[in-house]
Amino acid sequence: MTCIKIVVKQVGKRHKRELRLAPHATIADLLRKLDQNRETIVVRRNGKIVVEEERLSDGDLIEILPIVTGG
Amino acid sequence: MLKCTFCGRRAAYNRRYAGVLLCDRCLIKSVEKRFRRAIAEHKLLSPGERVAVAVSGGKDSIAAMHLLVEHCGRKNCELVAITIDEGIKGYRDQSLPIARENAKSLGIEHYVVSFKRTFGATLDQMVRRANARKTELNPCTYCGVMRRSLLNQAARELGADKLATAHNLDDEVQAIMLNYVRADFSRLHRLGPSYPPREGFVPRIKPLREIPEKEVALYALLRGLEVHLAVCPYTGGIHTEIRDFLNRIEANHPNSKFMILRMFDRLKPQLARIVPEFEMRRCKNCGEPTSANICKSCELLKELGLRRLRKTLISPKSS
Repeated sequence: MTCIKIVVKQVGKRHKRELRLAPHATIADLLRKLDQNRETIVVRRNGKIVVEEERLSDGDLIEILPIVTGG
Repeated sequence: MLKCTFCGRRAAYNRRYAGVLLCDRCLIKSVEKRFRRAIAEHKLLSPGERVAVAVSGGKDSIAAMHLLVEHCGRKNCELVAITIDEGIKGYRDQSLPIARENAKSLGIEHYVVSFKRTFGATLDQMVRRANARKTELNPCTYCGVMRRSLLNQAARELGADKLATAHNLDDEVQAIMLNYVRADFSRLHRLGPSYPPREGFVPRIKPLREIPEKEVALYALLRGLEVHLAVCPYTGGIHTEIRDFLNRIEANHPNSKFMILRMFDRLKPQLARIVPEFEMRRCKNCGEPTSANICKSCELLKELGLRRLRKTLISPKSS
């Protein structure tokens, strides 16, 4: 397999995005690609809250939940 | 699958500043332990006290209310909740019902104090007035000053011995940095886990001060608490720049936020030498405690062509 295909939903944004990543990419790699700071979000992988060092698999649904809400 | 360092279950959080992975259960236990440790170490609460908790409906205050209700149950303290409704359309009107529902489910008396009823204008209306008058103050100034004042007054009227706020590690470190940037010794000196009693002020306590924002959020989410996670529409300005700066530093150099806090806590006793003591007076307009003739809230209201409509905040109808 040359790359994996995942779906990303950023909570608060309307549309889901489909992305292609390298086969051994981690969630941290995805966050770098999306320019998201891990300090400011929580990630759900297929509905479960997971650590950013987990490797992604083909077909994963990744939800990115912003947690920094105040002024 | 990455496993929890302590129990081997699936990890939900990488606590990089400590070099450990935590599963949902171990993270919840750890946050509760830090909360209890903060209360014990800084003597934030004593048995039998009446505690008012400021609850907006966001993750921090909802987590704080749930943690406090359990603690108060064990220590025979009485807990009441206060929400300040600033009047931010599409934001506070969504979080307020969440605060109310959480308080109701926990069996806590809940009081709502609104800008509109107290000052005759919502924050949205104040911002429009400020823009029309070109005051050059940002919305957080009006919101912060007036919210703090109303929280203190409401807690005092409710007979609270302590006013608990849900400031987390990130909030505290941002406030430290903001006061450095502004060279505001007086405000810097007031930061800390608690604020000592002074006439007219209910002593404030911050039991989440040593828990990072992300861990508070995870605690609320992993416990399945109902929280409001939207972003305040007025977010911006220097507060946001400092927050983003600190989050970049922490992402690249884990533990930086704790180091800033530790450094400040060691420096704080020295600040007392250079911060002048000021005489506490009563505001000539509203009677609230202030260091000047007129308190900051009344001063800001005057600039906007507004005045305070109600002297007493808590009526039986507020609950």
